[in-house]
This record gives sequence, structure tokens and C-alpha cells, in this order.
Amino acid sequence: MIDARQLERHYDDGARGRLAVLDGVSLTVADGEFVAIVGRSGSGKSTLLHVLGGLDTDYRGQVTVAGTRLDGLADAALARFRNETVGFVFQSFHLMSGVSALENVLLPARFAANPVGALHARAQAALARVGLTAAHGARAPGQLSGGERQRVAIARALFSSPRLLLCDEPTGNLDAATADEVVALFKTLNAGGLTIVAVTHEERLRSAASRVLTLAGGKLS
Amino acid sequence: MSGSLWPLVKLSLARDRRSALSSAFGLAVGVASLVFFVSLGLGVGAIVREKVFPVDSSLVEVVPAQLSFGLLGGGTLDEATVARLSALPGVERAFKKMNVRAPAVTIYRGDFFGRPLHMGLEVLAVGVEPDFVRGDVLLGEFVDPGPDKPIPAIASTRLLEIYNKSFAPQRSLPQLSGQLLTGFIFPIDFNRSFVTSTPQSASAIPSQAQLVGVSDRGLLAGITIPLEAARRINAAANLDAKTFTGVALKATDPSRVPGIVAAVKAMGLRVDDQERRMSENAGAAVAISTSSLALLSVLICLLAAFNIAHAFSASVRAREKELGVMRAVGASRRALFRLVLVEALVLGVVGGVLGTALALAASLGLDLAAVHLVPEFPFKPDSWFQRPVWLLGGGVVLGVLAAVAGAWLPARRASRTDPARVLAG
Repeated sequence: MIDARQLERHYDDGARGRLAVLDGVSLTVADGEFVAIVGRSGSGKSTLLHVLGGLDTDYRGQVTVAGTRLDGLADAALARFRNETVGFVFQSFHLMSGVSALENVLLPARFAANPVGALHARAQAALARVGLTAAHGARAPGQLSGGERQRVAIARALFSSPRLLLCDEPTGNLDAATADEVVALFKTLNAGGLTIVAVTHEERLRSAASRVLTLAGGKLS
Repeated sequence: MSGSLWPLVKLSLARDRRSALSSAFGLAVGVASLVFFVSLGLGVGAIVREKVFPVDSSLVEVVPAQLSFGLLGGGTLDEATVARLSALPGVERAFKKMNVRAPAVTIYRGDFFGRPLHMGLEVLAVGVEPDFVRGDVLLGEFVDPGPDKPIPAIASTRLLEIYNKSFAPQRSLPQLSGQLLTGFIFPIDFNRSFVTSTPQSASAIPSQAQLVGVSDRGLLAGITIPLEAARRINAAANLDAKTFTGVALKATDPSRVPGIVAAVKAMGLRVDDQERRMSENAGAAVAISTSSLALLSVLICLLAAFNIAHAFSASVRAREKELGVMRAVGASRRALFRLVLVEALVLGVVGGVLGTALALAASLGLDLAAVHLVPEFPFKPDSWFQRPVWLLGGGVVLGVLAAVAGAWLPARRASRTDPARVLAG
């Protein structure tokens, strides 16, 4: 699924000069794997996730995801890749306020090159897949609990039937019980064949993964 | 743009409803004032051109030079000179004109369209070739009928307007139209005057004139009669019946007029462009006033564009994370650019349509008020405004352009949203 080689990513860090957050990182993830990446805050976990998902293009090295070579890809092609091949789940959910949960799940369809099928039915199916009902879909994010909001965010990530789910501290803003539910959901999705790469501090997510990698000093081990 | 972006556009505008309404209202004010003032300028300009100074742009009025240089030219307008004028490049036809050089008066006692009238007037008359006014003749042939029959006469359209709006109301006289006037016969004595002395030997030439139509080409303060009639009366009064007092040159095309004017001047003749200059001056005054007000309106639109730029900049900043998520789920830079521009476009259409509708309503209301509240006066129009389709469409286009121009930089900023930065943490 993922073949990343010799990834280098630097940040300008003021007086301290250039800071290497990815310093020759190579990573291979097989189809259907559930990989957890751990490391201290600022170690570059999110940066690695953004590079793998085509959100960050300012790096050196080669990245191939689901057969698509990302380095050097034009913006429109990268956008299409993100729309069709990967789904993102963030710690802060990042749902659009002022619209229903269903409309949030439909967001990827708004940017699809060729949106197909009954979009609302697909969005409802995505909500059902994460354990939410049509009633949940009709509510605004502000009317949902934290766990429900994260499930909506996961449903949004699943809407386009991606092959890879990239999760950035997905349980970081949830209480223990809700986090357990979300982790259980990830395990179910992974059991269904979905490849998951999650960066996390959480032990429960780490223990759910089939493989755990540690990012420290710009190196992955 | 994918049609599915519309929900996002509607969402964004609905969420920032107050800001969107304020932006659209600003645009509407600018567009309304521009459409209103241009519409007014076009209307007043048309009144000046078509009613007050109806100048035929392809006509050149030639008059004799004030000084004659004998063999060197610059003298009178005789047949030979007219032939030379006719042969000038760009001249389609030359129409000879001859003033009745004898004074003339009319003394009318009798029924005047249902009202008793007793009036004496000094009359000016000019003879013209029949073809010069043929299109405006409503009764009979415009030719000299001989000494014993009424002379066909054309009245000026503008004189009739002044009579109807100013002279008649003050004297309780009836309102007249060209058709109503046609056929009216009144006495006219040539070689007689109320204001100048005529030689003892000169005897009055009693005659009659019959109005056969009204024309923009008619003499403003007098009557226009057939050239041969003027020639006959001048001869009967022992006055010059050979040379002409003017020649109207019809150009093949208005663009040929400057060349013809130059050639006429080179022949030592003068061009009477007083009417044209008055028309141009009045037109220029209207154009300058309209342009000033239009410029002010454009400035209002610019301010509205700045307001939109400010509002959209704030909106894009506030929606930074949302735009980042859009990037994450598959929005290209171009899609975000278009998303913001379409939001502005919707505001532009709303502001443009609203402003144009406001301007239309205001102009129709003012027209209606003018009919009832403004007293009658010469050349008072039925409408002070012109509302061509291009102006109405232009109002909407201006609204859209101002909105899109205002939103351009914020749209670029939106398109450059770095999702990796705004979604981190």
C-alpha cells in the first residue's frame, strides 16, 4: 500500500536554523495493515502522515501510495488522489459548523471529479458504518457528543471508499470510554480490509495496531 | 466548476448572512446610482439632440462670406457656386435656400381652431427646394402655386412645441399638432412691416400662406416656403432674386462632413454651424455632468469592491481550517479559488440585479412624478430617462465585476491554504 523511501523534511526553526523532522525515513506498509506511529510531540509524526496523504509536498524522497507516485504530482492530481484513495481523521474532528453531520460526510463528493451514485444514500451508509443513524446525520455537529463527532469525521473519511485511512491522534480529544469505542471501530474497519496508519500517544490505539513504529530524531524505527 | 459546489457556496453565504447582505447592498447602491445617472444622461442627451437642437449630422449649412473678393471668390452664392458646391467630394445633394428679402407681416382676425383671434405678427420666410422638406409635407405639392393661390408653408417643429407649451397656455389658445395645423390658411402681406420703414414706392404684395406640415428643417422663427415662391416675391419687390442666402449640403455620410466643411471654407464661403455648435455644447454639458455622476457611482462601486475584499479576507481567515479540510478531502487549489469567486459572483449578481431594479424603479417614479408635478414647458419630455437593454445588463455585469474584483485576492489566499499547517495539532 505504502512505499516511502528516504523521506526528508526540514523546518526553519528561527535561531536554531533548519530542523530535520524527517531525516531519511523509509516506510513500507502492506495492504490491510494497521500501523501505529508513536513518538514525542514535535517528533514529526503528523508531518509524516501529511506527506503520506499528499497534504505536504515540501519534502525530498519518494512516496508511492496505492500505486500512485506522489512526489512531483501536480496539485490537481494530488487533490484527486486525496479524494479517491485516502481518508483523513484528525484529532480535532474539523467538522464544518452550521451544516448537518450528513452534509459534512458529503464534503468529499463536492470535490469529486465525477461524483457517482446516490450521494445522500452513500453518506447515510457511511454514517451507518460508524454506528450513527439518520437522526445523527440530521443534527449539526454542535448537537453531537465528542465521540459522535469523531464518528462523523470517520464517516466523512470513509465516504469515498478509500484504500488507506490516515489518522492523526484520532482519540486525543475523547474520554476513555469513547476512545475505546473509536479504537474498536478502527479494528472493525481494518478487519474489513482497510489499511490504517495512525499516529498516536495513546496506548489503546498502539495496542490495537498490528505494527508499531517509533519516530524519534527524524528516524523511524 | 462542479455543480456540487453550490451547497458549499450557499452554506458560506448563509453563514455570513449579515456580511453578505452588507456587501450586496453596497454593490446595489453603486450599481443603482450608475444606472440611474447614465439613464438620466442618455435621456436628457436624447432630448437635447432630438428635440431642442435636432441637428442632421450629415447636413452642412453654407452661407455667403461676409466679405467678397471679386474674382478671387468669397462672394455671393449664385448658381455657378452652387454647382461647384454640388461637385465637392462627399456631397450627395445641394439644397438651395433663398430668404424672402422683403419684410412681411400677417394680420389675422377670425376663428383660430375654435377661438377668436386678433393678432398681427412680423413674419420671416425662407424658400427651399421642395426635396429638402418633401418628407414632412402632408398636403399637396410643395411648389409655388403662382401669385393668386395660397403659398404652401412649412412650420418649424420646435416653433410648434414652443407655441404649445409656452405661448398657447398663457393666452388660452388651443394646443395644436402638425396634422391639425395642416390646411390652415392665413393672410400674409409681403413688402410690409410693423417695425421697419419700407420705401414709399414699395407697395404691399398681399398673399396667403397655407400650412402643409411641420418639419425639423423648417425655419425656427418663421415659415418655410417653396424656393420658387421666394424667388417670385423677391422679384416682385425688386429685390435680389438670383443669389441664394444659403445652401444645405447633404453629405453621403456624416464622416464626410469635416472634409466638406474644409472644402467650403477653401472656396471663401462660410459654414453656419451655430445650431450644430449649440447642440454639441449642450450635448457636451450633459455628457460631462453624466460622466461626473457616473464616475462618482463607479467610485461607490470601488468602495463596495473594497468592502467585499475586506469581508472576504476576514471570511477566508476565519475559514482557514475548513478550507484545509476541503483540501484534505480532495479540493484542488483551483477549486478553492473558484469556490470563493463563485460566492462573490452570487453577491455580484444579487447586488447588480437589486441595484438595476432600484435604478429602474427610481427613474420610473421620477418620470411619473414629473408628469404630474412639473409644469409644462417647451420640449418637456414624456420621459427623462433612456433605459436601453445594454445599460440594464451592464448594471448587473458591473455588480459582478466589482464583486469578483474585490474577492480576487481573498480567493487566491484561500487557494494557497496550506492544509498541513492549518490542520496540524
